[in-house]
Amino acid sequence: MLGRAVTFALVGLEPRRVEVEAHLRSGQQPSFSIVGLADRACQEAKHRVRSGVHSALLKWPERVITVNLAPAALRKEGTGFDLAIALTLLAASEQVPAVRLAQHACIGQLGLDGRVRPVAGMLAAAEGAARAGIERVLCPAESAGEAALAGVEAIGVRHLAEAVGYLLGHDAIEPAAAGESRRAGAQLPDLGDVRGQERGRRALELAAAGAHNLLLAGPPGTGKTMLARRLPSILPALSPEGALEVTRIHSIAGTLPPGSGLVAEPPFRAPHHGASAAAVVGGGVVPRPGEVSLAHRGVLLLDELPEFPRSVLEALRQPLEDGVVSVARVGGRALFPARFRLVATMNLCPCGGRGDSRIECTCTPARVSAYRDRVSRALLDRFDLVVAMPRPRAEELASSSAEQSATVRERVREAASRLDHETPRRRPSASELLDRAVDRLPLSGRGRARVARVARTIAALAGSAEVLPEHVAEALSYRSPAELSRS
Amino acid sequence: MTIGRIRRGERGYPALLGQIPDPPASLWIRGDVDPALLGETSVAIVGARACSGYGRSVARLLASGAAAAGAVVVSGLARGIDGEAHRGALAARGATIAVLGCGIDRDYPAAHAELARAIVAAGGLVVSEYEPGVEPAPWRFPARNRIIAGLAAATVVVEARERSGALISADFALEDGRDVLAVPGEITSTLSAGANALLRQGATPATCVGDVLEALGLDPRAPGGDVPDDPGSAAVLAALAAGAGAGTADELARATGLAAGDLAAALALLELAGAVAVEEGVVRSTIAR
Repeated sequence: MLGRAVTFALVGLEPRRVEVEAHLRSGQQPSFSIVGLADRACQEAKHRVRSGVHSALLKWPERVITVNLAPAALRKEGTGFDLAIALTLLAASEQVPAVRLAQHACIGQLGLDGRVRPVAGMLAAAEGAARAGIERVLCPAESAGEAALAGVEAIGVRHLAEAVGYLLGHDAIEPAAAGESRRAGAQLPDLGDVRGQERGRRALELAAAGAHNLLLAGPPGTGKTMLARRLPSILPALSPEGALEVTRIHSIAGTLPPGSGLVAEPPFRAPHHGASAAAVVGGGVVPRPGEVSLAHRGVLLLDELPEFPRSVLEALRQPLEDGVVSVARVGGRALFPARFRLVATMNLCPCGGRGDSRIECTCTPARVSAYRDRVSRALLDRFDLVVAMPRPRAEELASSSAEQSATVRERVREAASRLDHETPRRRPSASELLDRAVDRLPLSGRGRARVARVARTIAALAGSAEVLPEHVAEALSYRSPAELSRS
Repeated sequence: MTIGRIRRGERGYPALLGQIPDPPASLWIRGDVDPALLGETSVAIVGARACSGYGRSVARLLASGAAAAGAVVVSGLARGIDGEAHRGALAARGATIAVLGCGIDRDYPAAHAELARAIVAAGGLVVSEYEPGVEPAPWRFPARNRIIAGLAAATVVVEARERSGALISADFALEDGRDVLAVPGEITSTLSAGANALLRQGATPATCVGDVLEALGLDPRAPGGDVPDDPGSAAVLAALAAGAGAGTADELARATGLAAGDLAAALALLELAGAVAVEEGVVRSTIAR
């Protein structure tokens, strides 16, 4: 007797259709084996499925059971196949109708008590089902809202018995509605808390509007991190397709709280400098998105940039350039999108005294240059905006009350959509100024392109259809200062 | 790299250097260049390797002012003040001489290899009394300093701690009977202790480019480049003059009432014109008073 069900495995973000087949035959010794390149967690499905079937008060077929996961060449990883395996066995032993089962994709992990537990990557798997023309997905109840985002009928079940009851037609289950989007905006730290720092705030606004990478350099305690943490609060909400993409990644990484729906706000990630290259960039035996992918369409904050291991910083260059992380695996390549705004902070020297008029720097020139050398020129080149934040000599005047994030966000949204629709063109006089600057300043070809890019953003923020000389001039002031690339 | 050599007594050996008590037997010269520069009016600008942003910008200001007025700037290619002095002269499209404390073919410090190339490319000289292959060693640097002081008509100490190598250069200059100038520094800063001590002993205060030019007997020249005269730039320059000649961007924004973006644009134009220098977030006026 043969049973069949469909489920989906993920290679990176890519769903792959997996056919689960169960064959039962008589034999002297009842047994249960799973074939088809199943990994450890997947092999353990045997125990969960057996206990689950018993707990659901269903009959365990005391036969020689072989479960095959096809295609056999694809590595099956994880616990999401449990539900499909259990239901295939039940179909093979004629406890659920095979025809009805074939109309569903089944995704979920089983508990020993038969409970159906959520698994990571529900959205991507459900999208696989939608793409394969399977309209219904049997899935854990907690993930049903997430699965419904893919445009399938998501049938959420809490227990294996509930799934069986549904397939037998005893119980009707309403397809879940697509998960509500979360708006975390209210809890984000607000730019209104930052006193002074006019230049830093301006650079933050430019970084938000033009998706530029921003480096804040200055002595400790001048508010670099405080400012950087407020970048998410001035980013416009994600576009619908952007939100789906971000949700997909976070679902696979398991960073979504259960029951949550679409992620509508740009994500914010701030890995500690002790994080490994695999954690930051992604990878591993089972390819998983790293921090750069979790920050996709959002913000990646690297606080104390020079403290990160060189290997991590160098590994960042590929995603910064390509906007995607590619992890080569035996079964193919896993691609994770990683287009993020990088915000980094650093001191001007190891002791932190430089740029602080109250403290005398005690670092030798060799120590200072060793510290700055930790950030390679190639990486420094990826920052469109570099802003020094020295300690103000006079106490900040409690001048006009600072602008709130909501106000800035509105400006950013307008500028970003203007940049999306039409790139402002440079007026000839602006190009002349840029040429003169390249001639007079230590500005590389890449530096010139960076300045031109920032100037476009400044023009868009000013609501100007053209890039004017003053826009180029302002952009020039955010170029990477010579002192960071030499001592 | 082609290397030349001038022995003492040969034509081209700098006359001023010949007058010191212990002139080098020969000078090695990097590149295939005319050593006539060695005989021109020159000023040594020296100071600490570990220097402040103030020290850097003063070194640059004095060097570019002196170079613009036609003086050759002599220094030791070290990090910090020395490097800024060379760069200041290059920025003013002037000539500068770097005196090494190691073999003529060595780039020391390695970080300044590019600077050394730029000096030669701009018609300046890299010289040493040591033949190719001699390693840099701590005891060779005081000997190098006697050449720096010996080549120059005057020596300016920009920033020096109490036991700085720059003070050794000043001592040599005094022994050679040359002018010694020192840039006054904050009395609370150990970085300025050496320079302030020189002033107490009677060195000439170097408070502007004019002081240096006077010591060299040169006429000051108007600062090169056109200082932008738009209202934004004028406001920034006025705020800098009213303050201590320096300020952070945020302080200037408040003093001028300009929005952060407009201020940034004004600063960039001023920097391009050479009227201000921005380092580690502090803006300094570099227009000679």
